[in-house]
Amino acid sequence: MADPLTARLKLLIVETLRLEDVAPADIPDSEPLIGGGLSLDSIDALELVVRLEKEFGIKIASSEEARSALASVAGLAAYIRERADPTRLPS
Amino acid sequence: MALSHTPGEAPRNPGPSWGYRFLRTADRALPEALFRPLRGAGTWVAVATLPRQRRCSRAYLRLVLDRKPSLADVHRHFFAVCEALMLRLRVANGHPHLCLLERGAGDFSGWLKSERPVFLGTFHIGNSDLTGFMLVGQENKRVHLVRLRVGNSHDTEALASRFGDRLRFVWVNEPGELLFALKEAAGGKDAVALQCDRPDHSARTEDFDFLGARRVFPFTIYHLALIFGRPVLLSFGVPLGPDRSVVHASPAFEPVEGEPRDVALDRARRHFQEFLRRVEAHLRANPFQWLNFIPL
Repeated sequence: MADPLTARLKLLIVETLRLEDVAPADIPDSEPLIGGGLSLDSIDALELVVRLEKEFGIKIASSEEARSALASVAGLAAYIRERADPTRLPS
Repeated sequence: MALSHTPGEAPRNPGPSWGYRFLRTADRALPEALFRPLRGAGTWVAVATLPRQRRCSRAYLRLVLDRKPSLADVHRHFFAVCEALMLRLRVANGHPHLCLLERGAGDFSGWLKSERPVFLGTFHIGNSDLTGFMLVGQENKRVHLVRLRVGNSHDTEALASRFGDRLRFVWVNEPGELLFALKEAAGGKDAVALQCDRPDHSARTEDFDFLGARRVFPFTIYHLALIFGRPVLLSFGVPLGPDRSVVHASPAFEPVEGEPRDVALDRARRHFQEFLRRVEAHLRANPFQWLNFIPL
């Protein structure tokens, strides 16, 4: 069964970036989000970071942190799990 | 203030390394009746030694004048840049300059009186650089300027030093922290100013009608507006006599919560195109105020 946070993140990526021809399930867990198959650019990254901060009450404070956080969906899930208030995570 | 300077880094503004110092010293030492012709002569040297800028000037002038430009036209175009730079240096040295707002710029005027954060779209026309700084100095607004860092931006640094932390810079050609510097700036209450007429270093560009053809312009400002839910105000400042400038400004582009992004972007395109029409009309009447020397 899929990890609820990973599933939520994939849905969030598709919704936030309006990826009309991508289904959440099509996003691999381990593929880079920026510069990978989704063809996201720096503005997409910024929009995603702003949405993630709002959704999970976290603060991504530097581009280095963002690069690490957006390395992949799995990496993003781990990053959020470490920093977010557990009550904001999907169960 | 987030401003520092690494000597020798590229790109640089054209001209010799001693150029700014010379202009400041000559401005203090020489009467204007002598210094102005000297600047004119120096401008001829620039016309002769900057072939890329000369080609771009000719290409632009041919379009805006609707005829083949003469060498005197090109000199006049280069001289307009020299005079805009001189004015910036003089204002940086304390020369008084008043910035007025055109009649009918109600949204811009409303922003000046409010605490509301906005994205300001600017153009390299006439005194636009200067009027941006004057907003900070005269109206006490806090502004983050998104700019290309060049190796010899002494005029910018001198002007900025007058305004302390009310004026901050986000350097577009230092991509390491650009996005986060932008996020920090846009997440606060300050205005964020981005240039809207040079597509280099712009994450998103689009084609618009300008001077008889579809031409590429930066469009990132509207994406940022929609991400952060802030309005966009476009403006440019032009001379109104030697000691005054007047700011021409667009109505506000307002993001609407819940509006589909493609609908919002279509609205944004119409907003930008409408202002570009005003820019073009102004340039047709004042062709030498376009301070861009890049391919159109």
